[in-house]
Amino acid sequence: MHYKSPVREPLILGNKDLHDITVDIARPIETKANRWWWALFAISFAAMLWLFGCIAYLIGTGVGVWGLNNSVGWAWDITNFVWWVGIGHAGTLISAVLLLFRQKWRLSINRSSEAMTIFAVVQAGLFPLIHMGRIWMAYWIFPLPNQFGSLWVNFNSPLLWDVFAISTYFSVSLVFWYMGLIPDFAMIRDRAINPIAKKIYTFLSFGWSGRAKHWQRHEVISLVLAGLATPLVLSVHSIVSMDFATSVVAGWHTTIFPPYFVAGAIFGGFAMCQTLLLIARKVLDLQDYITIKHMEYMNIIILVTGSIVGCAYLTELFIAWYSGVELEQYAFLDRATGSYWWAYAIMMTCNVISPQLMWFKKLRRNILFTFILALFVHIGMWFERFVIIITLHRGPLPSSWHDYSPTFVEIGTFVGTCGFFLVLFLLYSRTFPVIAQAELKTIVKSSSTKYNKNLHYLDAAELEKMNKINKKK
Amino acid sequence: MTSNKVIYGLYDDDDKIVNATKTLVGKGYSINEVYSPFPVHGLDTAMGLKYSRMAITSFFYGVLGAFLITLLMWYIMVDDWPMIIGGKPNFTYGQNLPAFIPVTFEATVFFAAHLMVITFLFRCGLYPGRGVFAGSNKYNPDPRTTDDKFLMEICEENPKKIQKIEALMRETGAIEIQIGEYKVKKRRKKITIKDYLKNNLNGFFRVFKRKKK
Amino acid sequence: MKKQKKYFKSPYIKGNEEYLHNEFSEKLPLDGLFEDDKQLSSTATSRRDFLKFLGFSTAAAVLSSCEAPVRKSIPYLNKPEEIIPGNPNFYASSCFEENVFSSLLVKTREGRPISIKSNDKYLFNQGGLNARTYASVLSLYDSSRLREPQDKEGVFLENVDKKVVDRLTKINNQGKQIVLITPTIISPTAKKVIALFSKKYKNVKVVYCDSISKSGILDSNKDCFGDRFIPTYEFQKSSVIVSFGADFISEWIDTGHAKQYGKTRTPGEEMSKHYQFESLLSLTGANSDKRIPVNPEEQLKCMLYLLEKIEELKGVKQSVNIQLDKHQKILDVIANELWANKGKSLVLCGSNNKDEQVITNYINNLLDNYGKTILTQVRSNLFSSNDNDLDIVIKDALDGKVGAIITNDYNLAYHYPKSKEILESNKIDFKASISQYLDETASMMDFVIPKSNYLESWGDFNPYTGVFTLQQPTISPIFETRQSEEILLNWSGDKTSYYNYLKKSFESEKKNWNDTLRDGVYIKQQSEKKYSFSVNITKHINNCLNMLEDKKEFICLYSKSSMGSGLQSNNPWLQELPDPISKTTWDNYLTISPAYAKKLNLKNWQVADGALNGDVVDLSFNEQVYRLPVYIQPGQAYGTFGLSFGYGRIKAGKVGNNIGVNAFELYDGNQLVQKDNFSIKKVDNMEHEFACTQISHTMMGRAIVKETSLSEYLKDPESGNEAMKFASYKGDVSPSELKLYEEHKPAMHFWNMSIDLNKCNGCGACIIACHAENNVPVVGKEEIRKNRDMHWLRLDRYYSSDMNKDLAAEQNTGAIQMYSEMEEASSAENLEVVFQPVMCQHCNNAPCENVCPVAATTHSNEGLNQMTYNRCIGTRYCLNNCPYKVRRFNWFNYKDNDNFDYNMNDDLGKMVLNPDVTVRARGVMEKCSMCIQNIQKAKLDAKKEGRKVRDGEIDCACETACDTGAIVFGDILDKSSRVVKEKKDPRSYVLLEELNTQPSVFYKTKVRNKKV
Repeated sequence: MHYKSPVREPLILGNKDLHDITVDIARPIETKANRWWWALFAISFAAMLWLFGCIAYLIGTGVGVWGLNNSVGWAWDITNFVWWVGIGHAGTLISAVLLLFRQKWRLSINRSSEAMTIFAVVQAGLFPLIHMGRIWMAYWIFPLPNQFGSLWVNFNSPLLWDVFAISTYFSVSLVFWYMGLIPDFAMIRDRAINPIAKKIYTFLSFGWSGRAKHWQRHEVISLVLAGLATPLVLSVHSIVSMDFATSVVAGWHTTIFPPYFVAGAIFGGFAMCQTLLLIARKVLDLQDYITIKHMEYMNIIILVTGSIVGCAYLTELFIAWYSGVELEQYAFLDRATGSYWWAYAIMMTCNVISPQLMWFKKLRRNILFTFILALFVHIGMWFERFVIIITLHRGPLPSSWHDYSPTFVEIGTFVGTCGFFLVLFLLYSRTFPVIAQAELKTIVKSSSTKYNKNLHYLDAAELEKMNKINKKK
Repeated sequence: MTSNKVIYGLYDDDDKIVNATKTLVGKGYSINEVYSPFPVHGLDTAMGLKYSRMAITSFFYGVLGAFLITLLMWYIMVDDWPMIIGGKPNFTYGQNLPAFIPVTFEATVFFAAHLMVITFLFRCGLYPGRGVFAGSNKYNPDPRTTDDKFLMEICEENPKKIQKIEALMRETGAIEIQIGEYKVKKRRKKITIKDYLKNNLNGFFRVFKRKKK
Repeated sequence: MKKQKKYFKSPYIKGNEEYLHNEFSEKLPLDGLFEDDKQLSSTATSRRDFLKFLGFSTAAAVLSSCEAPVRKSIPYLNKPEEIIPGNPNFYASSCFEENVFSSLLVKTREGRPISIKSNDKYLFNQGGLNARTYASVLSLYDSSRLREPQDKEGVFLENVDKKVVDRLTKINNQGKQIVLITPTIISPTAKKVIALFSKKYKNVKVVYCDSISKSGILDSNKDCFGDRFIPTYEFQKSSVIVSFGADFISEWIDTGHAKQYGKTRTPGEEMSKHYQFESLLSLTGANSDKRIPVNPEEQLKCMLYLLEKIEELKGVKQSVNIQLDKHQKILDVIANELWANKGKSLVLCGSNNKDEQVITNYINNLLDNYGKTILTQVRSNLFSSNDNDLDIVIKDALDGKVGAIITNDYNLAYHYPKSKEILESNKIDFKASISQYLDETASMMDFVIPKSNYLESWGDFNPYTGVFTLQQPTISPIFETRQSEEILLNWSGDKTSYYNYLKKSFESEKKNWNDTLRDGVYIKQQSEKKYSFSVNITKHINNCLNMLEDKKEFICLYSKSSMGSGLQSNNPWLQELPDPISKTTWDNYLTISPAYAKKLNLKNWQVADGALNGDVVDLSFNEQVYRLPVYIQPGQAYGTFGLSFGYGRIKAGKVGNNIGVNAFELYDGNQLVQKDNFSIKKVDNMEHEFACTQISHTMMGRAIVKETSLSEYLKDPESGNEAMKFASYKGDVSPSELKLYEEHKPAMHFWNMSIDLNKCNGCGACIIACHAENNVPVVGKEEIRKNRDMHWLRLDRYYSSDMNKDLAAEQNTGAIQMYSEMEEASSAENLEVVFQPVMCQHCNNAPCENVCPVAATTHSNEGLNQMTYNRCIGTRYCLNNCPYKVRRFNWFNYKDNDNFDYNMNDDLGKMVLNPDVTVRARGVMEKCSMCIQNIQKAKLDAKKEGRKVRDGEIDCACETACDTGAIVFGDILDKSSRVVKEKKDPRSYVLLEELNTQPSVFYKTKVRNKKV
């Protein structure tokens, strides 16, 4: 019944059976948080407070507290927006696309990466709001007739497309995530001793009972949601890229943007997955479920998408030269050699060169290296968006050329969102089943070292090492 | 539904329960319900469950979404308050279609996903807070089934048959067999809205009744 | 209310006569309402009604609280008949300030002057207003104006006139001198008043002072013609103009020159040829066909050499023989051209030195220009000061001869710093100042008598021979002020108001007072004396030769079109008006040529946020040290330092105080050029922050301002404006032919604007006019520095660059190096400057419109891009997507905000706001609207009168403000309109055509009169 490939590494180590999984997944929720967790939480909470402070000051005083000017109307705000949205993509991708491709290794990481998606999109959503001059009028972006008569929204505007794309993306990911959570909440519920916790988890589990028919439907909707989420995830970042691609600004008006942005998003998103999971598996000791193999798989994806992004950069340059359009050519020349050349250099190094190191299996499977490289990718992807947006500082008319530099408010807002994001993720990691245990249990037979001894013989040495690590604790 | 006995067979392995189901169904017993911690492949076919039509509903929801958003955009941009925007032909829907495609797509997905999920919850009778007051056991006889056990539930009146069922369960490797003495619902061949409300939503209403007090 | 209703029936219904006698046939249900509340409670309805009312009133209250805040508005007790609320009234008046005369129309709304335009009845060809005159309407509402008579301590003075008169008579009896210091007076009646004054107090000395003296010209004419006067110049008749440092377009002796000059700049056979020798890069130099940067001494040499050449050509005896090391060739050419255009040429000199001016006159005389391009019989009365008068006053004062000193509307201490000595000393026992402000002078006086603004005053002016204008108040004095004439009149014992006095003296004119007042101008034949030219030239030449000391460094003082001599330095509009050349606002600085800056190791550089910083120097002059920032100015002559007048005020007001250095302290001997006893020293580790509206220098080889030479233009009118072609499946087509969908049908009108880059001289008057018309906020130096200026209309200035694509191709220079060299302006010798006014281009395929999520900016079917302020949520997407970067965002709240303490932050300053235009809120995008309010008004007027809108009827602020007529606005569907003609012109092109935004604004190629 379960197809067993002879040459597969185990995805679940440490001789786990169904019950062990239940226990391991429930542990973070049922036990107290360790020092690591509290330290991290304290830092990120402080950062979050800073964020809210900055936003209050911004809204109280005016957008002028940012460094923007008459030529550069967007800078850090939209850079951060695109960066966060991009990060969001990996989650949906892992759970949707890999589900469609029946990739078993997704199971131990999809829950957390979906959580990451949700929290990242929350951060992303902040920026289009606070970058408005009159945030108190923000509801006008929804198709409501305004109070002075039937003045509606403008469906030609990519910004409005964003509104639909982001809200759809957020809500659908949320639902997808939650549907997966219901059976796991049920598991927690049935283990819960504390009556209040039991009530809460009963509430959250929607009274799931695990009947055969329910499971059957559940599988169907998971599959359909995956089928819907896959084009959705591609569309969202395409639409975000259209904010630039549909404009007339040289350096923005580029037809390659949609695929290039999507690839970039996956690239950055997987890096964020790495960062979070590398911490999570340590802090919540889930090394048995999030194994080196998972890291390696993700690193391979980072390598592939990173290379795609690199190709996109080169294509851009080539097309700029090939188009013969002077403004276009100058825009790219200015990126590489103008006042923001350093940003361009950072982008190229972090996004194009560094991922290529993943060709080496040793590095691919090295945890520390993976962690550092992931950080590189974050930086690189942030600067990619910055480099694109800052093209504004030299428009078609030299008379309006003017450089830009951020104020402490902009920096604070960005750092703050990182804090906010971590706060959410840390809270999640203590209260939610961080691994889709119900789904995971379906592959125990095929992928756990306990049931499937003949998994071992592929590089047994490393397997030993891993098992040692597990024994230590 | 008459007063009768209910037989619970507890298994500890998904393969076993699938085999058990097969044998029992083969012997002509109708299995009322199987509770499992994760979707066991082949179980639904073994139990003779019908193929789920969730996917089809979502298709229609998607079509609905596409239609509604098109209607809205046409009304806003063309009918109600047409404006000259960037010299684009905003007085016809067709000529300006490219601008409307992204939103149409998003709306389609939005409707398809959300309405399907709502339908799913509706059909399974799941809703936030279900069982908070009734206690989750009302819906799940044995909490271990969310951990690592699999529970088979059969209703039978005839004592002889009960014997046989018990025997069969033992053969197929049930680790624990209980015979209940209380009312349970028979697994319905077909659910009508009427008994849907009767069976599921009443819990829902109870919640509010409690609130009132 | 529950009772059954009875409706009133007509009393004339038969059989109901009782209605006639008793209106209410049944008893009204009033009883009970006022009786015991038992009955009240028994009426079942009362409580419910009460609740109804309660509910209604609550709802009403809630609704009203949703409304915009209610502002005070006080209705007229009895409405003045000429004022119709919502309709503007125009009054003809005149203004004479800082030696600038202008005849103008004042636009008033509900009795408030809100803007100014030039008086079209004034046909004398020296019309024209400059930026300062347009801005003067804001100075009327300056909150730092004096409000009441006061003494030194600022204590209010009761019946000040009596006190003054007593003091004066006392001094008079002592036989001491009473000195009245006043700027040049061109008003006949005012002169009478002064005569009256000096008659009353015997020993009165009236000293006429011009803050920036033109004594040199006056004296030179005395030597040449035997009479001290300034002639009028006929630029429009001159086909060759050679100017030696005379900045006649912006700041020389008459604002009208720009207009006349513009007339000669239409490309064609008779287009004038203009050579400019100058040290600093002036507006005039920027507009010249050939500009020769020379330091003042070289300039003088060149002039002498030119004289020599002309004499040679004329064949008279050589009065000078001078050797030039350079510029000889060009001067030979110039000499020949001048000679070829005898009587149709002009030679001008900007210096205030008599001898140089005499040489100029002499050359002009050799060229027979007198009587043709220079009219000696029509005199300009705008200047009259005599340089050494004040020195004498100081001397007398120190000798104790002066008993009283009265300054009338003249800031003595500021314009003539030496005078502080006597003003501080107690040698003079009576010091009074008639002034609008408590300025540097007034604050030293015992008596300060507030003077009315010119918009509150009566007057008559005689600017030129035979030309007379009237001045009338357009608002009753805001404070307890009188105009200076009235004050002097009262002091001379005549208690009549100046209005009556003026009217009485007008009776002699035998003209209808009201008609004249309406027109504001009248012509009267005046005896035109004939003058004969005779001068001993050798004397003056020798003086000039003695001036040649072969100095290497020079300080050259100049005045900006925005600041002039500093009278209005408290006017935020003017402070924020960028200098046409350096594009710097809110600042006074030492300009220096790039080459010399390198020599002195002085730098300008951009900081991270793109703003400009510069080194600081200590300029020591006559034992005084002045700390000044250095601005590196391409095109300036090697070894010269430029410094502008009008700054360094300390008592100007909250806006104008403590900005830069007072250049009048370096204005030694009223000479604009100082060569002696000064030195420059760099101040280490100190930098100055500039606020420039434009940082970049050149066009980077892009076809933004299209330019060609006259010779090319005559061959092919389309030269420099070759049609742009895109390769497409249809073959090569112009961008506008590549369409995805057909255009919208225009309505009755389709507005277009034409901007002739040949006529535009970059003076910037349009910017101020736009400010006044559209309530554009002032944002201050810090915001300008951040590139957040709010100018709806900006003037781009581009320098030529030595590097271009062809050159790069020849030398096969790499792209990176090419572009970096392109950013540098050319060397001084071959630097050329172009100006380009850029406002919203009102694209018919507007990129900004597509991207607004809330449709806050949309297109009218009359071809205008319209901004809906109250719909805007401020995403700034439109700004990013605007290729012209003409959109302006309200980064903060600019009104009622103490961080922006300018005219929109005090109630008085707000009186200048145009009620037809919204004051924009924070977080909202704004931009040029083509003065939509005036378009609507014109359309409504036309509708009322049942006719079509006349061409030129619409008052677009920038168009009206442009003296040279560079800007033309009109309806493209009206085939007879001027704008249609302009559009047909082969020179017309649209900006950034390749983007196919199809703007409603189009430009016309710049043509420079030169050969290539």
